[in-house]
Order: sequence, then structure tokens, then C-alpha cells
Amino acid sequence: MNPQRTETVQRDLPGELHERKRIILRELKERSLWFIRLRWLVPPSILAGTAGARLLGAEFAAVPILLVAAFILVYNILFLLWGRRFGADPSQEAASLRRFARWQVGLDYSAMFLLIHFTGGAASPLTFFFIFHIIFASILLPPRSAYSFSILVVVGMALLPAAEYLGWIPHRALLFQGRSIDLVQQPFHMMVAWGFFAATVSITAFATSSIMRVLRRRIEDLTELSETVTELNEKLNTLYNVIQAIGSNQKFEQVLQAVTRELASVMEVQGISIKLLSEDGKFLRYAAAHGLPESIFRNRVVEVAKSPLNRRIIEGEPFITGQVTQREMFQFGEDLAAAHLQSVLFVPLTVEERVTGILGAYCLRPDRFGSEEVEFFRLAAGLVAIALENARAYEAVESLVKERAWFTMRVAHNLRAPLAAMLSMLEVVRGGYLGELNDQQKEYMRRMHRRVNTLLATVSELMTLASSRSEKIRVADEAVDFSKIATRIDRTFKDEAVERGLDFKITLPEDLPIIRGDSGMLEQMLENLVSNGIKYTLSGGKVCVTFSKGAANVRIEVGDTGIGIPSADLPNLFKEFYRAENAKAVEAHGTGLGLPIVKEIVEKHGGRIMVESEEGLGTIFVVVLPVEHRISAGDDSATESSLKNDTKAGDVNIHPTKEW
Amino acid sequence: MSEKGEILLVDDDPDIQDSLRIILESNGYKIRTASNGRQAKAALEETIPDLMILDIMMTTDTEGFDLAYELRDNPEFKNIPILMLTSFLDKVRHEGPGPFEFILGEQWPAHWLFEKPVDPKKLLAKIESILKET
Repeated sequence: MNPQRTETVQRDLPGELHERKRIILRELKERSLWFIRLRWLVPPSILAGTAGARLLGAEFAAVPILLVAAFILVYNILFLLWGRRFGADPSQEAASLRRFARWQVGLDYSAMFLLIHFTGGAASPLTFFFIFHIIFASILLPPRSAYSFSILVVVGMALLPAAEYLGWIPHRALLFQGRSIDLVQQPFHMMVAWGFFAATVSITAFATSSIMRVLRRRIEDLTELSETVTELNEKLNTLYNVIQAIGSNQKFEQVLQAVTRELASVMEVQGISIKLLSEDGKFLRYAAAHGLPESIFRNRVVEVAKSPLNRRIIEGEPFITGQVTQREMFQFGEDLAAAHLQSVLFVPLTVEERVTGILGAYCLRPDRFGSEEVEFFRLAAGLVAIALENARAYEAVESLVKERAWFTMRVAHNLRAPLAAMLSMLEVVRGGYLGELNDQQKEYMRRMHRRVNTLLATVSELMTLASSRSEKIRVADEAVDFSKIATRIDRTFKDEAVERGLDFKITLPEDLPIIRGDSGMLEQMLENLVSNGIKYTLSGGKVCVTFSKGAANVRIEVGDTGIGIPSADLPNLFKEFYRAENAKAVEAHGTGLGLPIVKEIVEKHGGRIMVESEEGLGTIFVVVLPVEHRISAGDDSATESSLKNDTKAGDVNIHPTKEW
Repeated sequence: MSEKGEILLVDDDPDIQDSLRIILESNGYKIRTASNGRQAKAALEETIPDLMILDIMMTTDTEGFDLAYELRDNPEFKNIPILMLTSFLDKVRHEGPGPFEFILGEQWPAHWLFEKPVDPKKLLAKIESILKET
């Protein structure tokens, strides 16, 4: 319980406060790094510009300009190194990031002033490049910083020519094809140019900053939106999980655990509890609690009368939020306070307008639950109530099924036991243990023995049919090893076949694929088919079981050289209690349940059965069992589709055949 | 007829008890009977039989199994071969480790299992082969 608690505590902090700031800072960092990449172009451009200007006949001192280019190169390298020190989460280094941006802008401005100074001062054509810097500063920095830098530029551009004019610093005139472009000689012209320059810079700074302000707000909105979407998504996910729990036939306990865990996580609260109301409505028992210390819920029963908050919910209030500081509102307020829980939210679990319990959320912070949270929690409670009711109903059905299975078993035993005792005693008489019988007595004993035997077989098969019809859940889903089944079938029928003078053979390839299913049932299916084959084949005949590998299926053929099935009887073969005319002639008292059981079992495994028969020549039953079949209770559609798939795959289809 | 061995026959059905007793005694076995697990244990305390025939469902659904497991874990009795009988094989199939697996499997306490009613010829042959083995 402890690790979960610390985890939840951390999440309890207002993470969303950081999130917005972090995204904006990440933007700043990315843009600063982008400027570093952009700046690499500056020194080569200066180099190229210098060379180009020289070629065109401009005269100026190139060395200082190249030195400035080198200066830019050097400080850009330093910025690159500085930039690498920022981690993935920039929120920890906000001040440092701002300083990083400010230094970049500051040094860029200095380099610009130097370049302008060396290329003719007020007359320098490079002056216009300041516009870019203004734009960049406005993008990088908050509006106030951007305006400050603009003022710096305007003032600087006033001071530089003034200082040159007054002779405080040397003036470096720009000579173009022998003629001097020298604004220092014309102060008025210079002031007009400066005025317009100042206006351009201001307008640029203002325009860019305004655009950036709008953009920043957009980013914030987007961030907020994405947070909301994430949050909603998580909530939806939780509701979906609860809905899944409703549909998944989970056990009651499992539903409780899953639901509380899920809700605690999505609501970012310390704990979630589910309390169920006793029949008389006087007590609330904790059915599940996630994230709460055991002392709170273990063996605890809340008396509704003593707990005002719980009572109000049961009396019909749609929700209650409470502060743990109001001790008198809680029966176990001390324990809640000891666990540092500060606020709670209770909503009713309602099934058909009847309150069946209470869903509670517990938080470490006071006043945690706002209207949105309440709304979501009520929605969740509706689903949780259904899920719990469903799980309860499912458990009730399951126990009924078990009870019925036991009952069926008991009935079967009680029906079979007297018959078995009867047959056992008949054996004593027939075996002559109580003295010799005359022929007529023997004949009557034989007939009695046979009728009782038939009754016994009918009881067994009815029971099997009943149990396989009803207990769909009990079909095992295990790897079926046909070689084992084949060995057992061989062991079961070998002696009987020899006794009847039949050739009995089982053929099984070694690389038969493993299918999933119920070995016991499949064995019974084969037992029924083989026992029919043996029963209806006359001495000297043959009964063969052949396993083979098909396209994604296992094919089992049970063939005999027996009396065959009249074509008129074929369509009814798999009906319960139906027996073919010629079968009655061989054995008067068969049950007519063997083949329906076979069909039932084959269908449970998603397979199909076909029969080919000619009266007097023999019969072949072909069972095709798909390799890819998942056993699922009452899965009729799966049977359908696997049948279709099989046919499409061009599976071997013997002719003439009938399929059921 | 000379005595081939002593068999303890445990079954709660008196008709089965009587008929099996007649058949087995006629074939030279000495038979003692018990109708439940408790009586069977009392009989075992007197003498140790050469073989036990044990019904599964008696007073409780699994009384025969319970007794068989108990005997297997008792060094005094663990060597008594057991032949089990049940009138409802389906139950054994569903709740045992696998259909018929127990016949040879280690975890099963019995040597063989027959479904009632059992063919006297098969029963006698099986008893003989088990006694020969042990």
C-alpha cells in the first residue's frame, strides 16, 4: 500500500500549473537554439559582403569588420555550449533561459553597432539590418524587453553619429568609387534619417510584439485544451474500463478491485472506497478500498445512524463533499485525519432508484472536489452500480449452474446405481453361481439382461447429452494430443473387435497439428463413432480410424465395411432417439443418442461432421476440426464462420456427402 | 476350491456386495466386506488383504477416493492394490486429472477402475493380473 500512496501524493500536486509554464519555456529554448543556428550564417555573409563591396568599389577598413565577424563566431560558439547545458525539462531553469536569450540579443546589438560604426556610421547601409534584430528580439523576449531593446537601438543610433559628429570617436567615412557618402557633413539630413529610422524600429517592435502576444496566448490556449483533452480521455478510458467490467462476466471481487483502482488513478485522489448497504439499510460494509490504510476499512462496518454524511447519501442526496476537519460528520473521522485525508466525496450507487451502496473518494488536500469532478464521479457511480449488480447476478447464475451440475450427477448416480446392482445380480444368476438354469430360464435371463443394459446406456447418454447441452462453460480449452486419444481408443476397442472377428486399425501421422479443445469430449466422440462401426459391421469386416492433416485442420475418418445407412435415414441421423431401420434389425435396443452427442461435441470444437454411406458396403464418418478455434461458451457464430472459412479454403469434400 | 487370496470388498450397496461376493468366492477368493470407509479401516486393522475392491461414491461423493489416498500415504497400507468401482464414470472423468489417465498415472491411488456394472469375466481377469503383478 505504501508505494501506491507516495505515487498518488505526487500526483495530488497541481501539476497543471507547471505544465503551461513549461510549454512556453520550451518554446523560448527552441527559438534561442534556432537563432544560434541562424547566426552561423552571419560571419560568412559579412565576409562575402565585404568582398562584394570592395569589388564594387566601396572603400572602407576591412580588418575591423572581419574582426567583428570573428567576434560573432566566437560568441556563437559560446552560446552553443551554453545551450547544451539546458535539460529536457526547461521549467527548472527559467531564469537561466531568459538570461541566455537576453545575452544573445545584447551581443547581437553590440556587433551591429560595431559594424555600423566601421561602415560609415549614420550613412551605413547596414542600419537597415537592425530591423531584423528588432523582429528577433520581439519574438524571443517579452514585449517589455523587446521595447527596451528598440529604445536602445534608437538611442544608440542617435548617439553614434552624434559622437562621431562631435569628434568623440573617430568617424570612418564610407567611400564609394572615390565619392564620400558622409552624412556627418549634413546634420539635418542625418536627423531626418534618424527620425524615420526610430519610427520604423518602433513600429516593427510594436507590430511583432503584438503578433507574438497573440501567438503566445494561442499557445497557452492550446496547452490548456490539450490538458483538458488528456483529462477527458483518461476519464473516458476509466468509464470504458468500467463498462468492460460490466460486460466481461468478471467475478464480483475482481470488479470491485478494478473499479476502485481505475477511479483512484483517473481522479488523482488518494483513495476510493466502495461501501455496500446491508439489507436492512442500517450498516455499510466496505467491499473494496483502494489507496486507503487498512485501519480505515478492515473489518469496519459503518453504522448509518452514526455517520451523517453517509446517512444523507442513503436518504437520497445526489452527492456529498465533506471536510475531514468536521469530525462530527464521520464515524471514523480520527482515522481519516490520521491518514492525512482532508476531503471526501460520496455519491450513491443506485440500482433501479434504490441505493445499494456508496462510492467514496478521499483526497489529501482540502476542498478538492469541484462540480466537474462530482459530475464525473456520479457518472462513474452509475456504471459501477451496474457492474456490481451484473457481477453479482453472474455469480448467482454460476453457483446455480454448479448446483445443477451436481444435481445432474447425483441423479445420474442414483439412476445408474440400482441398474448396476440389478445387472450384477443378474450376472450371478446367469453365471450359474446359484445353480444351473434351464434353457428357457437362461433365455429369459438374457433378455432381461439386455433390456436392463439398454436402460443403463440410455440413462448414461441422456446424462451426457444433458450435461454437454447445459454446461457450455465446462468445455475444457486444452491442447489435445490425438496420439493419446488414439492409444486409449485402441485399448478400449481392441478386445471387442477381436471377439467379433473384425480388423480394427488406427492410423495416425506423426506431425498431426495440436488443436485446442476438450480431450475427454473428443475421446467420447470417437468412442461413439468407433463403437457404432464395430456394432454394425459383421464378422470379417474392417473398422478403420484415420487421422490426417488438412489445411489448418485435423481430419478424422472413421470408416467401416458394415451394413451402411439407407439414404432415407441419412437426413435424420443426428436427431435424438432416431435409429436407422437396418440398425434396429442388427440391434433392437440402441439408444439413438450416440450420434447426436457426436455432433454436439464436433460443433463445440468449431468443426463439422460429414457422412458417406452405401447400404451393404459401409459407412465413413468424416470429422474436420479446425486448428484455430477458441472454445467459448455458446459461441454459435464462431462455428458458423469457421464452417464458411473451411469451405472457402477448398477443403476436401467427399462425394456424395451430407453435412449437418 | 483352494484360496487364491483375500479381498476386502468395500461398497455401500448390499446387492453389489452380495453378488460380487458370490462370484469371487466361487472363484476361490476369501472375501471380507465393508460398507463404508470407517468399516473398511476397521477391517484393515485386523488383517491386511491381498487386494481391495473399493466403491467411490458411498456416504460422501468421494469417500472411496479419500480412503484410497489415506491408505497410499500410510506406509502400513500403501502396498495394498486397489481396484476401484464407480457407477458414474463421468464424474471421475471430469474431476480427475484426465480421462483414464489415473489408471497408469502416479498421482492416482488405484490400480484400475471399472464402471459398474462390471463384467464378471473382466473383473476376475483383472484381479488375477493385479495379484500376479504384486
